[in-house]
Parts: sequence; structure tokens; C-alpha cells
Amino acid sequence: MRRWAGQWRSLGLMISCVLFGCAGGARAQDASSWKDIETKYIFGFTTGSGIGLEGEKEFTIDTIGRFGKRDGHYAATETKYEFEFTPSQFIQIEFGALGATHNIGGVTDLDDRSQFALSGAFAEFRYLALERTSSNPLAVTLAVEPTVRRIDETSGERVRNFELETIINADLELMRNRLFAGFNLLYEPEGTRTAMGDTLREAKFGGSAALSLRIASNIVVGGEVWYLRHYDSIGLSAFSGDAVMLGPTLYIAFTPKMFMTAAWNTQVWGREVGNPVSLNLAEFQRNRARLKFAWEF
Amino acid sequence: MSAANMTMRKLTLAAICVISTLAVSPSQAQQATELHVTYSKGQFQPSELRAPADKPVTFRVKNLDAKAMEFESKSLRVEKVVAANSEGVINVRALKPGRYEFYDDFNEKARGALTVQ
Repeated sequence: MRRWAGQWRSLGLMISCVLFGCAGGARAQDASSWKDIETKYIFGFTTGSGIGLEGEKEFTIDTIGRFGKRDGHYAATETKYEFEFTPSQFIQIEFGALGATHNIGGVTDLDDRSQFALSGAFAEFRYLALERTSSNPLAVTLAVEPTVRRIDETSGERVRNFELETIINADLELMRNRLFAGFNLLYEPEGTRTAMGDTLREAKFGGSAALSLRIASNIVVGGEVWYLRHYDSIGLSAFSGDAVMLGPTLYIAFTPKMFMTAAWNTQVWGREVGNPVSLNLAEFQRNRARLKFAWEF
Repeated sequence: MSAANMTMRKLTLAAICVISTLAVSPSQAQQATELHVTYSKGQFQPSELRAPADKPVTFRVKNLDAKAMEFESKSLRVEKVVAANSEGVINVRALKPGRYEFYDDFNEKARGALTVQ
């Protein structure tokens, strides 16, 4: 786990150097001359309301890494190889394949393993319910994302898993072209059939708040906080634990058609029902990181 | 197939149906306001446009330059490449009052705005 976390931290340091280098040359820029920004990717794990431009297509590689359990070493990643397009001025559609890696050793209740696998597929449908205008700073998008997996996200075991993420993405332009607040409300039920034939039902419910400052026309920095609850049922009736995750976010547009977003979240508070320990490392992880590259065409 | 997976699939189908219903735009049947814009020497002419609120807008962008331009606007949520010496037609939904900026994505200096009242 430490080796993986170290690599992500090195990457973070490198990105920070690039960021401050770019920011130095951009301090004198006037935000009123900047083009409008697409808000979907500027809040880290929190997703903004943007749905792209009608006719726009994009290819994205989006990796989320999860690091750290109660004991042993734990590092798991899931990468989306994603194609997205915007067929109308209100709808965005995304779909793609999933790849997963698991590097687990000495973690209680998880088998040791080191593997890479094509783990599943997903699609996402996004509808812009409320659009931002020069007189209305708030925009809201509703999204659903069905996902099927053949590899369990946490343990790396062979399973049949079906998940339906439903989410409300909202954002608010606090200062024209400069400062944005983002909010997500998430409900994510899933069902899993294990290799032993057991059926498990669970759900995540929670929300996030993020603040992002555009420090140059192509660079946005910020921070976000997530509160997530876990249930051992899809109907939110069997609460099993919750957690608060907090961390910085970064967005850089390298060219008008190519950009990246990065985020790091650390669990700062958590609890497990029936286990009087600090943090919830049974259902969540100590740290998570996101690195996404996108090319529009 | 397990009961949980069946339930999840039904939920997915229901969610997609709701989004598809919401996606039908009521503005499509209205007559659009046509706006004619010329792109020449790397500039929009006129660069300030006006249109009435709650009516669809059609931009007719005539590119008189010898190279392609891309008419783009984040707030209008449209983009279209217009080849050299040709015309592009861009249809936009019925708009709420406000100011909507547009630009040539290939040329940082070419800017314009539509004011909807």
C-alpha cells in the first residue's frame, strides 16, 4: 500500500510543481477575458453540472485508486475507458469498459492477491435539469450510471455485480468565471452474487460539497468534502457505517481539447456499526485518488 | 439471475425512461429567430447580437476566411466547425434572458456575444 500511495504522492508533487509554474505566469490575467469553463470536471470526485456541447465527443481515461485498510497493505484501482457524447443541448451519454487492479496482502477478511483484470462495463445518462445563465448562477444535472462488474471492487474476487449510481450534480458560480461551488447528492444501490452463490445487497448514500478557484484561464484548484453512509440493504434500512473524506482537487486544460483532473481524499472521520474503532475502513478506504485525462474531438 | 440483479435492472430501466421523457424539448416546434453572422479576417461581424427570450435561435455563420473556424459557446452548449468559404447553421434551444458569449475555438481573439431579452 505504501509503495502505491508513495507513487500517487510523487505524482501529486509533480502536478503541484506544474501548477505553481503555470500559475506564476498567469497572475496578471483578467478573469473577465477568460472563456466560460466546463464545470463537470473541476471539483475532483464531485461532479459538476456540465454536459458538454451539442455534437461534442470525448475519450476519457479515468482512474480511481483506493488505498489503506485497517491492517496489511491494500491498493485497488478501477479505470474507466470511456467514450462520451452530447446528442442534444440537454443530454449527455457516456459508456465504456472498466479495468481493475488489486494489490492486497494481510488484510483481515480479504484474500491476498495481485491482479489486473477487465472488470466490467458501464453507461451514464445525464440530463441538464436547470441551466446556468448570466442571471442564474445555479445549474443542476441529474444522472444515472448502471454498471456491471465481474470483479468485486473491494476484494478483487470473481462476482456478478450490478450497481446503479443515481446522482444529482449541482454547481454555483460564486464569482464570474473565477469561483465555483459544487454539490453532489448520491444514492448508489448494488447487488452482488458471489462465487459461492450468496447474494449481497448494499447501498451507499451521501453527498459532497466542493469549492474551486480558477487561478488561470486553464487551471482550477480547490477542495472537497464527502460524507458517505453505507447500508447492508438497497433500501437504506440496515445502516452499517459512515465516513467523511476530505482533500484537494486540481484541473488543468493543456489545450482547448485536452485536459486532466486530479483529486486526493483522505478519510478524516468514520465509524463502523458494532466496532468501536476510529475511521470506517471496512466499507471505505483510508485514502482515495482520482486521475482523469480527456481528449475532446 | 438473482432477485437483487432483477430489481437493479428494473430500477435502471425506470431511471432511463424518466431521463428520456425529460429530454424531450418543448421548444422544438417554435419558429426560430435567425441570426446572420459573418466571420472575416478572424473577427465576427457583428460581434454583438440580440434575440428575444424563450424562442429558439438559428445562427447562420458565413466563414469568408481561407481557413476553417469553429463556432463554439459553452453557455449556448454548441460547437460547429465551419469550413473555409462556406456557411454553417447552428440551432440553439429557446433561451432564457441573459448574455451568451461565443468564440472561434481556433482563434482566441475572435469573440462575440448574444444578448437575449
